[in-house]
Amino acid sequence: MTLSLSAQNIVKRYGGVLALSDGNLDVNPGEVVALIGANGSGKSTLSKVINGVVVLDGGQLLLDGSPVHFASPNAAKKLGISTVFQELSLVPQMTVAENIWLAREPLRSNGFVDSKEIKLRTEELLSLFEGTFKASMNFDIPVASLPPDEMQIIEILKAVSFKPQLLILDEATASLDSRQVQRLFELVAKWKDEGKAIVFVSHRMEEIFQIADKYSVLRNGKTVGSGIMKDITDKELVNLMVGADSIFGYSRAEHQDRNNPARPVRLVVENLKTDVIKGINLTVREGELLGIGGLKGQGQRDLLRSLFGDIPHEGKFILNDKIVNYTHPRHAIKDGVALVPGDRSREGLLSIRSILENLMLPSWTNYGFPLQMRRSRQDGNQISGSLNLKMAGLEEPVSSLSGGNAQKVVIGKWLLKKPRLLLLDDPTKGVDVGTKAEFYRLLQQICSGGTSIIFYSSDDEELIGLCDRVLVMFEGGIRSELEGSSLTKSNLISASMGASNGSKE
Amino acid sequence: MKLKRFQYLSLRYPSFIAFVFFILALLVNLYFQKSLLEPGTINNNMRVFLPLILLTTGEAVVILTGGIDISVGAIVSIVSALLATQVGLNGTPDKVATWFVVALLVGIIAGCINGFFVAYLRLPPFITTYATSFLYGGFALFILPQPGGGIPASVANVYRAINPLGLHWAFYVIPLLLLIWFLIRQTRYGRYLFAVGGKPQAAYETAVPVDLVIFSTYVVSGFMAAVTGICIVLLTGTGNPSIGDPMTLQAITAVVIGGTAMSGGVGGIAGPIMGAITLGVIKNIISFANVDTWWQTFVNAIIIVAALAAPGVISLFRRNRP
Repeated sequence: MTLSLSAQNIVKRYGGVLALSDGNLDVNPGEVVALIGANGSGKSTLSKVINGVVVLDGGQLLLDGSPVHFASPNAAKKLGISTVFQELSLVPQMTVAENIWLAREPLRSNGFVDSKEIKLRTEELLSLFEGTFKASMNFDIPVASLPPDEMQIIEILKAVSFKPQLLILDEATASLDSRQVQRLFELVAKWKDEGKAIVFVSHRMEEIFQIADKYSVLRNGKTVGSGIMKDITDKELVNLMVGADSIFGYSRAEHQDRNNPARPVRLVVENLKTDVIKGINLTVREGELLGIGGLKGQGQRDLLRSLFGDIPHEGKFILNDKIVNYTHPRHAIKDGVALVPGDRSREGLLSIRSILENLMLPSWTNYGFPLQMRRSRQDGNQISGSLNLKMAGLEEPVSSLSGGNAQKVVIGKWLLKKPRLLLLDDPTKGVDVGTKAEFYRLLQQICSGGTSIIFYSSDDEELIGLCDRVLVMFEGGIRSELEGSSLTKSNLISASMGASNGSKE
Repeated sequence: MKLKRFQYLSLRYPSFIAFVFFILALLVNLYFQKSLLEPGTINNNMRVFLPLILLTTGEAVVILTGGIDISVGAIVSIVSALLATQVGLNGTPDKVATWFVVALLVGIIAGCINGFFVAYLRLPPFITTYATSFLYGGFALFILPQPGGGIPASVANVYRAINPLGLHWAFYVIPLLLLIWFLIRQTRYGRYLFAVGGKPQAAYETAVPVDLVIFSTYVVSGFMAAVTGICIVLLTGTGNPSIGDPMTLQAITAVVIGGTAMSGGVGGIAGPIMGAITLGVIKNIISFANVDTWWQTFVNAIIIVAALAAPGVISLFRRNRP
């Protein structure tokens, strides 16, 4: 059985906001279609319409040529449409097997759950990703104790366990490391041969070119282009997404000698240890943009958080020639350290509060009592202007912003404090290319003002394009330091995988 | 990673802490009361503990799904008042049987009311069941304004004096409860309970009937509260329209020290049953140690606050470690 789906002129409103005005998507058996668009362009909404999570307001869905209507995700699932959600639909306290088969547990004839069958089927599914797991993976461990990438894989397996004819992968690769992505792509290729139709939603251009046969580009809720991957270049694709030619392309032209020994040292870290990190030494100079790379979960996050005083750690920090030991982020903030956290909706923003409040949150103490609202508004306007924040007004809630713009608010709230050391935890995750390019310019700008940046990214391209120096982390240590001519993609990847060729050490 | 392992163990064996508490309390009790382990004493103790054990299992199911039922004590009171007035000290066995069934139905109806408000009207369970507890408590006082009445002594003696095979009924009821729970865990419904408690949104997206599951837990808890009411009337032989009042906090405490997370998704009933017995033992200790009875409420309150605060205190110390 195969399935082809055609979404035509889909309209979807959330309250007064038009999320989709003319969404179109055609996908046929044995085909991978990349659904591409900037954040807030409506691609999540379109995929939610297809899998029945939201009900469309206009247009129609054709399944094998005949119109269908999904009242719930279940209705779509019964017809063979399954989705890997970006926000995981797993119950953390339950085991891997319980999660995958939740609400569809194989039953024995007496009505009880057939645990043996569940175990067998789960192990069969887990074997699809065999070799990419840490040793502890098995069907019977609680999902909460898995690292994020493995949770994502369980989410993928859960969607696959429905044996769908149409599989929607909504940013499914965002938290996977390159080995896991490769495995997923091998599987996608296999499913394609089996005649499954696949919709692939991703921000990673490289992945789209590797896996997709066709593309469909959304911009501001409208489908602005679709066709065959072979006939288009990444530059053209990006132009379709952003609707303007200028934005993409950041250069290393301004890379002068930021790591010049003549520049004063901003931060020295000696023998940093946490539960995950096993002894790290590093030095950052004033105005330097230091990249942190490596596979997911090698301790990058712990490094940033311990610098910010957010998690317990041992070791010595010397900031501006002063030995510091932060046990609370408050101390770090006072010394001009700022962290842009990885999970912006949870750690970075008060999403129901206004943009102004979010921007001002760390800085209210500078506005007296009672708060000088007019001055705060001026400063808010100025900062949002310099960030090129696309918003309806400072009083709008942050939740009204798209992902990239929300991330700008997180950065903006620290810029007001004029930080001397800015820690960035994968800030461009889930941000569209247009905003990314603005970001890169912004970071360069911040650096030239003398602020040092430590920038962890899961995107190798941007580390290479942006950073003066990249430290590649592997299993809680620094595997190699790449700089200048050694800073190439192949070196970065091989160091991430644990090989050490190309390193300066 | 130490915390991870602890997290893992507490997900896997949620009743472990309850077991430690239980043994500790038992040892202290043994110190004050040397006869604790004699069969007669054990039977006497279990007879007194059983009502709270029953109430705790119902509450455990609600808390497991992330809710809370503060009206259980009031439902116990209704049943006590109902049986004391309607059966009477001279009631026939037929009448007793009929009103036992009516009592169970009343418990189920009370649970349905709670469940409807919480599951379908999406009201916060804490406030809702606090409010209904006054509704039910008031109803109990309406039926029986002052303590009095009762059931025939012959019926009560079945509970109070008969120990089949030398063991009190509690020794048959508890394994039965555990068996039922074990079987429930093997069903889809059992999985649903954990899923709804763990992450309702994820459960919903996976086609779990979340509202129905939440509704059902309040019905279970109402039903168990009615069983508790019957049990307590059998124990005391008389009616008391406010007998359930202090039991609500005790039941919640027992569930919490039984290793069930107040946030839901982790737990079972074995731990809470041990928790209930532990509370009974603490009550014993207090009476044998010759301290005022208000200490009992105090100790219960300390336990529940400590149990709730423990995770926060642990992370506070971790954070401030130099």
